[in-house]
Amino acid sequence: MSATSHRGGASAIRSQPLRLLARVAAILLAAMTLSAPRTLAQVGTRPARVISLVPSVTEMIFAMGAGSIVVGVSSYDHFPPDVATRPRLGALVDPDFERILTLHPDLVIAYGSQEDLVRRLDAAHIASFSYRNGGLDNVTATVRRLGERLGRRADAERLAARIEADLGRVRQAVKGRPRPRTALIFGRESGSLRGLYASAGVGFLHDLLELAGGDDVFGDVRRESLQVSTEMLLARRPDVVIEIHTSEGWTPTRLAQERHVWDALPALPAVRTGRVYLLADDSLSIPGPRVADIAERFARVLHPDAFTPNRSETR
Amino acid sequence: MTARSPLTRGIPVVLLCFALMVAAIVFAPFIGSTDISFGAVFSRRVPFADNIDAQIFFLARLPRALAAALVGGTLAAAGAVFQGLLRNPLAEPYTLGISAGASLGAMVAITFGAMLPTGGVATAGLAGAGLAVLVVYALANARHRGLSTTVLLLSGVTLNAFFWALILLVQYLSDFAETYRALRWLMGDLDVVGYSSIVTALPLLVIAFVAFAWLARPLNLLSLGAEAAGARGLNVARAQRVAFFSGSLATAGAVSIGGPIGFVGIIVPHLVRLVVGADHRLVLPASACFGAAFLVACDVVARTVAAPLDLPVGIITALAGGPFFLWLLLRRR
Amino acid sequence: MLLDAVDLEFAYRTGRRSAPPLVVDGVSLHVDAGSIVGILGPNGSGKTTLLKLLSGALGPTAGRILFDGRDLASMSRRALADHVAVVPQETHLAFDYTVLEIVLMGRYSKLGAFEIEGPDDLASAGRALDATGSRHLADRAFPTLSGGEKQRVIIASALAQLDMRGTTANAAPRGLLVLDEPTASLDLKYQLEVAALLTRLNRTRGMTVLLSTHDLRFAASVCQHVVLLSRGRVLAQGTPAETLTPSLVSTLYDIEAGVVAPLLA
Repeated sequence: MSATSHRGGASAIRSQPLRLLARVAAILLAAMTLSAPRTLAQVGTRPARVISLVPSVTEMIFAMGAGSIVVGVSSYDHFPPDVATRPRLGALVDPDFERILTLHPDLVIAYGSQEDLVRRLDAAHIASFSYRNGGLDNVTATVRRLGERLGRRADAERLAARIEADLGRVRQAVKGRPRPRTALIFGRESGSLRGLYASAGVGFLHDLLELAGGDDVFGDVRRESLQVSTEMLLARRPDVVIEIHTSEGWTPTRLAQERHVWDALPALPAVRTGRVYLLADDSLSIPGPRVADIAERFARVLHPDAFTPNRSETR
Repeated sequence: MTARSPLTRGIPVVLLCFALMVAAIVFAPFIGSTDISFGAVFSRRVPFADNIDAQIFFLARLPRALAAALVGGTLAAAGAVFQGLLRNPLAEPYTLGISAGASLGAMVAITFGAMLPTGGVATAGLAGAGLAVLVVYALANARHRGLSTTVLLLSGVTLNAFFWALILLVQYLSDFAETYRALRWLMGDLDVVGYSSIVTALPLLVIAFVAFAWLARPLNLLSLGAEAAGARGLNVARAQRVAFFSGSLATAGAVSIGGPIGFVGIIVPHLVRLVVGADHRLVLPASACFGAAFLVACDVVARTVAAPLDLPVGIITALAGGPFFLWLLLRRR
Repeated sequence: MLLDAVDLEFAYRTGRRSAPPLVVDGVSLHVDAGSIVGILGPNGSGKTTLLKLLSGALGPTAGRILFDGRDLASMSRRALADHVAVVPQETHLAFDYTVLEIVLMGRYSKLGAFEIEGPDDLASAGRALDATGSRHLADRAFPTLSGGEKQRVIIASALAQLDMRGTTANAAPRGLLVLDEPTASLDLKYQLEVAALLTRLNRTRGMTVLLSTHDLRFAASVCQHVVLLSRGRVLAQGTPAETLTPSLVSTLYDIEAGVVAPLLA
């Protein structure tokens, strides 16, 4: 009994400094927030210091000719090459709030799910622009919305129109051609066909595949991605398999090795006819201004005779 | 008192478990998310390369059923061995950090797969498991003639924590897509695509099971305590070493096939003991057979219940096995 | 003479540079076949270590032990198990074995690696259960037994261990039953029961018994030969009448002689 009460007393004493510490931290944070320059951007003004934690949006800002206003990027930004000169401030799960504050941004571009970050930015009177992934339409819609927000409506409109025109050209090139049943794979264990992930019926990759003249074999599943079992893959009988590898380090030799892994399923129509294509490029997963390039790469493997053969893919 | 060993009373249960296992393996390939024609599956007229039905049966479902049986049986038997070795009913194949080591290897292979030579996740998992086994053995052997079960447990728990920290570090350094795939690997997956991963792990599992057969009586004696076992003529240090290495080998092989599937290794031995008693000569074969049947059944559920989604089988083992085990436990008291 | 120990010394290795203290220091004793020998001493006197040496679980750092004329250190594990059976102070099981299963575990050294107990082993287990009055417990789960019942079952397991294959019920077992503090965790009723059991085994079956205890009255009532052990050395040995004197006992336990007298009454 006495031991218990003693322990209780000790923990009460120990927890008091903790509570004090928390209070001090809160006060410091508030002070920091107040001392930050009053940069609450009014709608209509042109933000001059923008931080983008979303690679696809970073690309959009650069592509509309406003790269100079970007003062910080996410840890996953690699394009355009200029981003290498900007400080990296974390990404979806680990934004570095303190460093964001010290860069005095007047606009921070964040993912829609980063509610905590947006709340803290609000507290610091820093405006934010919320981005969510969506279908292919969402790319040009985001460009236009962004142009509005950055006060660069004309630049944005030019970019959106160019993307739409490029996509239209790809659509036109494959028009009327038979649409091969295609499985778009964007992840698996290296060296085996285990842990296959495929694009399903929602999202910009699915939309790009359909636009490029392919019939998504998993298009009926209303999800962005799907773990595909061997049984399901065999049952869906894709005529073409397109595999995209977005991480670094995929040499042509490795891609050729990985291509042979598919020989484990010889009855798959795509394997039998040799139509398994491995594409390696980190742009392939970014729903940004380069989506038309992705569409064209898909279209070139799906309908090689629709294009002049100026570009070869690993096959 | 009869003139027959009390062992004979449990033999019908072992045979029943064996029959369950065989039935599960035979019937599982006939159930799936796709309608296939079983006439076409066994038809000789269509060449195999053109026969999608036969390929679904022989390349997707049958290897999966065999993998489930092998993994389930191995994990359950290894669980019984570790519980006997550590004299602790809460022990399981993953207690000593073997699965954490295998997971670390697999995480590295998934995350940095592009930079590794082909060979892949299973090999990396085996390497990680081997590393964990050697570290735990060196620690537990350092200050004793035999293995100290206390030191084994403590070093296992510590190693688990250490490897998990490294796993999280690898995860933190990796890309989104890879993080998700790595997480999915940790949930366990029996879709082995053909027979190569089974064939690779089979030699390890055969060696382990030969050792298990020899271990049944030594494990009985060990549950009296190391000194009492030694006084009855058992070479305690050797029995402990054999149990540790064979259990580890079996666990590493199973994890290399199916990832760290949980629950089977701890629950099945207990379930079996409720029926056949404590004698390891019954517990080990019954656990192996029942564990196999159980995991095959769980995998059938996992791949059909939410088709076209393929649920992680570890979720099914816990959801199906947990309440059933609690019910058995309550009914018995 | 069944067991003959000469000038035994033992020290636990500590890993430190300095020489570790001797836990057993120059002990000589012998156990005649068919006798009950008790090692008596206070806690920490080295009783348990000495028993481990005499039963072959530990090897002495110096000195030698002869069992039936053979060097104990040269005997194989199985040969040792055929001749020396040990009953530990307490037995905790990891799993719910039945009493019969526990008793049959005593037959381990008689069976091949994959051999199943045969009629001989079951008969041997039956005799052991009869001898300890626990046949009615055969199918009970060990953890459900009382402390005294558990002790009897473990003794039965040890008897099954010493009962050589092919020997008849009447043949005196040429073995040694070693018990470490057989009554330490039992209340008075079970202490008397164990004392009666050991005496009966000794009288009717000629069983040789070596035990350690710190209980004067138990030693006096059961043992024919008593070894007083103090700080690893033999203080005195002989019959209970010779050794359990107020002066020796007060030296052994480091208490006033006047207090000892009523204990010995």
